[in-house]
Amino acid sequence: MTSSLINIGRSGAAAARASLELTAQNIANAANPDYSRRRLNQSELVGTSVSGFNYSDTLIGVRITGIDRFENETLQRQARDASSDLGRTNAELTGLRDAETALEQSNVYSGLVELEASLTLLESDPTDSALRTGALETARQLANTLNTADAGLETARTLTQSEINAGLEVVSGAATELARINAELGSAREGTAGRAALLDARDAALTDISEQLGISVSFESSGAAQVRINGSPEPILVQGSSASAVTASYGADGTAQFSVGATSFAPESGQLAGRAAALTGIAGLQDELDVIANATITRANDAQANGAALDGSGGQPFFSGTSASDIAVALSDGEGIATAPAGSPANSRDTSNLGNLLIALGGNDGPIKGTDTMLLSLSSRIAGLNTTHEGLTVIADSARATLSAQTGVNLDDEAANLVRLQQAFEANSRVIQVASDLFDTILSIR
Amino acid sequence: MTFVATSTSGFYERSLSQMETLRGSLQQLQSQIATGQRIERGSDDPVGAARLRSLSRVERLNNVEQENAARLGQDIGAAAREVEGVLNLYQRVRELAVAGASDTLGEDGREAIALELEQIGEELFARSNATNFTGQPLFAGTAGAPAFVEGAGGAVIYNGNSENAAVPIALGTEIERSVTGDQLFEFDVDGTPTNAFAVTSGLAAALSPGAPDPASAAQGALAEIDAAIDTANRNQTVLGTRLAWVEVIQQSQNELSIDIEEQRSEVGDTDIAEAITRLQQTLTVLEASQSSFVRVSSLNLFNAL
Repeated sequence: MTSSLINIGRSGAAAARASLELTAQNIANAANPDYSRRRLNQSELVGTSVSGFNYSDTLIGVRITGIDRFENETLQRQARDASSDLGRTNAELTGLRDAETALEQSNVYSGLVELEASLTLLESDPTDSALRTGALETARQLANTLNTADAGLETARTLTQSEINAGLEVVSGAATELARINAELGSAREGTAGRAALLDARDAALTDISEQLGISVSFESSGAAQVRINGSPEPILVQGSSASAVTASYGADGTAQFSVGATSFAPESGQLAGRAAALTGIAGLQDELDVIANATITRANDAQANGAALDGSGGQPFFSGTSASDIAVALSDGEGIATAPAGSPANSRDTSNLGNLLIALGGNDGPIKGTDTMLLSLSSRIAGLNTTHEGLTVIADSARATLSAQTGVNLDDEAANLVRLQQAFEANSRVIQVASDLFDTILSIR
Repeated sequence: MTFVATSTSGFYERSLSQMETLRGSLQQLQSQIATGQRIERGSDDPVGAARLRSLSRVERLNNVEQENAARLGQDIGAAAREVEGVLNLYQRVRELAVAGASDTLGEDGREAIALELEQIGEELFARSNATNFTGQPLFAGTAGAPAFVEGAGGAVIYNGNSENAAVPIALGTEIERSVTGDQLFEFDVDGTPTNAFAVTSGLAAALSPGAPDPASAAQGALAEIDAAIDTANRNQTVLGTRLAWVEVIQQSQNELSIDIEEQRSEVGDTDIAEAITRLQQTLTVLEASQSSFVRVSSLNLFNAL
């Protein structure tokens, strides 16, 4: 009877001590983002013997049955999906802002307006060689500007592509890790600290992947995760202990194509999807920039072909090249600008051909209007993405906050636990003390 | 009712992101105040940025058109001064013709008049070839060559063309920079085309010694001289009207400049008063959230243990 009391006290003290250790573990991991808080699982230990109609209960105390890990599959899925959506918008926004910077800082629009202005100035005195040289140098500046804008877009593209490659490294590392964890989970026993740590690592790997690629996950009873990439089609990334590699290839226009093994797919969300969208956007911008450069080249050269230079000879091409990357001024000096219509004598002050060039450049279908439209649609798209980004940030933050309220460590709770468990430990010691006193009382009867 | 407690790391994360947001808007306000520009990049306000772009284009072109108008004003002014000089010469030629028509004048007197007329002829030739500040002929039309040249036998002939170069100085407004030499110096007398140089040199020849009946020749020349004066007068009026037109356009260009500046300021400039008020407000909120963060984070059960 007394020894039973001592055993009960001992089991209680041991359980309280184990709980205290777990509380200390929770506190130690309060700042670990991948950690889910743990709780000791306990059950009452009783023995009941039946002899005839008599029941005899033996109370043996408490038994530690294992370590519980707080988890919530729904909240985890929500947090992962929200971070995939946010990652997509974030990455697309970053890529397009790079492109916006490239186009705005290179001042394509003001370069075109400057050319228009210097040609308008030339109308006031078409034989003035200073004005002619000024117009030619402004044209050279414009060609440089278009080259710079093109190179800026190229840089934005290269940067985005290298970010995709880095993201693929993350996915491949996390997928390999997840496959290893899946294998280990098969042999880990329920309720052990080791299993809880493996599950933490599993969720961390899933979070890492979902930032890069939106995924749907299903769990086996062992806790092993099967991962499919959200997209069309939906290839399997991790199944059991095998992980597939995701690769990206880039087309001539810089757009990305992803594939798992031999299956190519278009990702739906995640940073990689956003960067792919940004690459498509940049390719479109480069096309538009080339159209603008080409319109400038052909319109200027067409006007030149219909005119006469200062010395009365037929106008030679103003620009060489066909796109923003290779546009250059072809005229060797300002006297070659064909201000007068073809057939005019030398030193003619007729500016009707120059007027036609100005209309061709400044008209509603000309390159100046085209540049304005391109910049307006790009900045509107970015402003729209900004708004989406703000909304998704709130959603992702609140999903993460809800998840962490369910599974994270709250230091106030743990402090209260410390006090409670310390008291429990002391109470159990008192039980042992009482048992010992009882035993002594019986022994001291004489 | 379910009560959801926040985890400790959740609390720190949320406080951090809130303060980061505040700091971000502080930075944006600060750069708006420092640069005076409300729109840092196009995506801050796409429509506003597009308006700024078209305003800057209109402004740039308006500046160039102002420059063109100033140059055009100079050219027209120079042409008008030359026409004024030409008219003075014509007046003198008329006086000399009247004097030459008088029978009281002796042969010596006529010779002196003839010599003066030759001088006037040269000055007229020089004025007909006058140039603007950049050395371009004023009365040669769109041709670049000298306006009048001496042909075979000393006759002065027009070398330019009859197209007047027009300078666009505002949207849809082109003003011709001068009058052409044939408009100014060539005219018909009784259906016969002639020019001022021929009239002057003809009169000089008629008054030279040895010429038959100089008085009636001088009398006959008066009608030709009057035709020359009429032609020059007409052209002077035309140039004066154009000069007034240029001034009207310059006036409206100046008004447009101010208008563009106002619109640009309205669309793109930082409203300093508003920005500073919002900066102060954001600063206050940031300070309050920082100090409440410090207080709340120090409210920890461990401190009570």
